[in-house]
Amino acid sequence: EDAAEESNISAELIAHRKRLVDEWNAWRARCRKDISDEKRSRGIRNDGREHGDEEKEEIE
Amino acid sequence: MRPILLQGHERSLTQIKFNREGDLLFSCSKDHVINVWFSHNGERLGTYNGHNGTVWTIDVDSQSRYLVSGSADNTLKLWEVSTGKCLFTWEFPTAVKRVSFSDDDEQVVCITEQRMGYQGAIRVFRLNFDGDGKDQDPEPERFFNPIGSKATVCAFTFMKNLIVTGHESGKVALIDVATGDEIQTNERAHMDIITDLQMGPDGTYFITSSKDKVARIHDTKTLRVLKTFSTETPLNSAAIAPNRPYVLLGGGQEAMQVTTTSLRQGKFETRFWHKVFEEEVGRVKGHFGPINTIAAHPAGTGYASGGEDGFVRMHHYDDSYFKSKPYGDLEIDE
Repeated sequence: EDAAEESNISAELIAHRKRLVDEWNAWRARCRKDISDEKRSRGIRNDGREHGDEEKEEIE
Repeated sequence: MRPILLQGHERSLTQIKFNREGDLLFSCSKDHVINVWFSHNGERLGTYNGHNGTVWTIDVDSQSRYLVSGSADNTLKLWEVSTGKCLFTWEFPTAVKRVSFSDDDEQVVCITEQRMGYQGAIRVFRLNFDGDGKDQDPEPERFFNPIGSKATVCAFTFMKNLIVTGHESGKVALIDVATGDEIQTNERAHMDIITDLQMGPDGTYFITSSKDKVARIHDTKTLRVLKTFSTETPLNSAAIAPNRPYVLLGGGQEAMQVTTTSLRQGKFETRFWHKVFEEEVGRVKGHFGPINTIAAHPAGTGYASGGEDGFVRMHHYDDSYFKSKPYGDLEIDE
């Protein structure tokens, strides 16, 4: 019975942790978009160097 | 995990910083000296002599070419890393408490203390490396006095012209350096003085530590608190471990209370917390006094801590650190 209770608690904990990781990863994905938007608006290529108007490079 | 003891400072450490590759560790201290060490063996590579007061803060550029330092002697200094030469000195009416390079190495932000009728100030300098580095503009590109509680820590963000600041009151603010305006604030980020602020890997989040015994991870853009790490000791420093989902926290009781505090209470340990689950995962002992500053190796292979005891301890992680998965196989994004 104790073992059953314990596995129940750990199942809850595992579900809780999974939820935290999912939330974190979803937020990280939004951050990566913010970073690429910011770089695009500043005219910085993904390698971090600035470029002029003469060329537009696709951001991967 | 046997640490390497870096012996060379005669007084307590105030800040330590790795260069981008992590092969060098810079340290500054109340003994007026800045040192640079090889992180793999702890050998001292050199010193930067010239300050006449506690060196409160240092930062190194991404190319490991230039170092900036701020001191209680009311100066900000620019150094050439490889030669140890001081290239330029800026003078202020009060002490420099925090310096930080921008990601592109072209700017430096610095906080000067509020004291003797002078307001606390934040200045941004644009550096000139066209010549030998000695031809610097003595005037800042940006200058403003933050309103309200005085700023203690600051850093550039990934957003143009925006810096993030931590304050004595526990406030965190996002400030436009062009106008000095606060774009976002969280007045109650902490309940006491903010002691450290370190950016995450891509700058979209940062960690703060505070005397309120808590460290927090904040979303840089919104200043929303994402994670809270509550300890039982005042915190002086917090770092984010690259490649593994941990944060490192350090602190301890103030020196004046040390005599009444037993070492065995474990106040002087570096604490590892799981950054997503907000659970403590381990502690590393070592220092004989409060931990003042922690830096994570940028490759995620180790960390260093600087103590009130005057020692820097460089730790290289064992294999077990990389293999352990204390919380299963969940994949966590950096």
